[in-house]
Amino acid sequence: MNILSATGIDKSFKDSTQTIEVLRGATLEVEAGQMISITGQSGCGKSTLLHILGLLDDPDRGELRIKGASVRAKSSSAASIRNRDIGFVFQFHYLVEDLTAAENVALPLLISGQKFKDAIKEAYSMLQRLKLDERLHHYPNQLSGGEQQRVALARALITKPAIVLADEPTGNLDPANSLEVWKLMKMLNEELGQTFVIVTHDRDQAALADKTYELSDGKLHLL
Amino acid sequence: MNSTERFFISRYLHAPKRNLFRFSFIFMILGIVLSVGILSAGLNLFEGYERALKSVLLDSFAHLKVERSNGMYMQAEAVAKVERILGSQKEISSITPGIGFNVMAVDEDNTRGCIFNAYEPAQGKNPLYHKYVVKGSSRVEEGQVVIGQYLADDYRLAVGDSLRVLYPQLNRITPMGIYSGEHFLQVVGIYRSGFYEYDRGLIIGTLTDARNILFTNDLYSSVEVRLKSNSIEDVSKLAYQYSLLLGPELTVYPTVSTSLLQTITMQKWLIFIVFCFLVLIAGINVISAVITMIYDKQNEIAVLKTLGASNATIRKVINYQIYFVCLAAIIIGQAFGALLSWFVVKQGFYHLKGEVYFIDKLEHYISGFNLLVVFLVAAALTAICVWIPSRRINKLQIIDLLRNQ
Repeated sequence: MNILSATGIDKSFKDSTQTIEVLRGATLEVEAGQMISITGQSGCGKSTLLHILGLLDDPDRGELRIKGASVRAKSSSAASIRNRDIGFVFQFHYLVEDLTAAENVALPLLISGQKFKDAIKEAYSMLQRLKLDERLHHYPNQLSGGEQQRVALARALITKPAIVLADEPTGNLDPANSLEVWKLMKMLNEELGQTFVIVTHDRDQAALADKTYELSDGKLHLL
Repeated sequence: MNSTERFFISRYLHAPKRNLFRFSFIFMILGIVLSVGILSAGLNLFEGYERALKSVLLDSFAHLKVERSNGMYMQAEAVAKVERILGSQKEISSITPGIGFNVMAVDEDNTRGCIFNAYEPAQGKNPLYHKYVVKGSSRVEEGQVVIGQYLADDYRLAVGDSLRVLYPQLNRITPMGIYSGEHFLQVVGIYRSGFYEYDRGLIIGTLTDARNILFTNDLYSSVEVRLKSNSIEDVSKLAYQYSLLLGPELTVYPTVSTSLLQTITMQKWLIFIVFCFLVLIAGINVISAVITMIYDKQNEIAVLKTLGASNATIRKVINYQIYFVCLAAIIIGQAFGALLSWFVVKQGFYHLKGEVYFIDKLEHYISGFNLLVVFLVAAALTAICVWIPSRRINKLQIIDLLRNQ
């Protein structure tokens, strides 16, 4: 069953002088439990595609379906779909500075209306699974880059989303930490059947996924 | 407030990196503390002035006077009639017959028109003016008087000295005019009510001396009536009602100006409105702090929106954080205002001019009602200043926030 399908996605950006067509009929189908990577040159539109897949932006044309239902970023249900069905990991961790690691992880559950006590309990358990049990009460600025990104990954996974969208999740890390995060995602995919769509410019890392697509000329090509 | 909002507020209070110490917050807090402080101090001083004036005008002297309609002196029977009829009125707290007339206080350097008031001595009780007597005694016997502080100072009189008074001898009218009489009265007490006109020119003596001066035997010039405090507002209406009860040969008129007190109350609230604009000006700093905070917290706003938080929730999280600081600043401002008004009262550089302001000493009074009004008004104004700019959060697009990082 397709968790996510994007069909004929077009997206262009206008500035004062010209219109840049970033995506031209991009099509992608993601099945449950798959780990898909999307690679391509800088500025080819990888992040734009991921934002559209994550309901952060609407395409100019084309259709996006999540768990079979047609969805749009500007619809009233988009926020709850993002909270419930999609987990995000960005190049920068985007952790809230005033919250501890555990509180950051619990945040999506709190937003969904869960009680703090229950949410923080689940956050502890998730962080323990990601081997961050020594860092539960540390603030983001007390964590290393690799730890920050693992906390961000835990936050993306806490709601048990249908799909995790990762935009250059290791782009800001050194090679050792980078490999560790990739291994972690692979482990989560294999052991828990977590579906991932990962955007990266690193072809070697992209090769670790079940399927790798290259985005060029606004279209996705299976490698 | 939902669980996310409560969670953020509580974490905000415990976060190691307190937003309180942001540069824009410091100016915001200072602005609120100063403006609320000035507003509170102004209100405390005006409240003190109003209460001091009311106390002097209403507590120490009569509120109504009963006189004969033809202006002649009252016989004992007329006084008894007043006491009988008005004595049963529930609004009245005391009825005191007395004599009041004009005299001239004279020494080598000064001549001043004064009012000589004399009352029936209160049996076993201190007279009404007792609490204002600052030197000597409040009880007078024949040949003795109690005088105001300014009169004593201007005439260099102390307790035990003699005051020379001149008065027209109405029984000695000659083709050359009216002969003046002269009396020397011993000062046994000096009072200071704070009401300039009284302290400067009121002499309180005995009925015996007053009758000797006026050659009136057992007559009275008026009956002074004091009302209970909750009836003072109705003094004009009661004067009319009592006039009807006493019949046409007696007339009742109010001796306190309720319109003066109403004007002062109105003036107090006008000052309050003017000073509220100061809080509104301080609100500009609040608006600036909100905009700065939204800019600084773009990351958090992007994350919260991405994780599915509604605009309303994010707005409340930002608003409550700033609003909490504003409320704390308002409370600090009120404490500062109390301190400021206390200092203004205690300082020795400036005193009220009694001839202009009726009373010559500054007073401050911290009323619970005023504190509440200042708090509510300042809280409402700052809430508006927080709420208006925070609407920008609705317009922020996640995608723009993420791209700008």
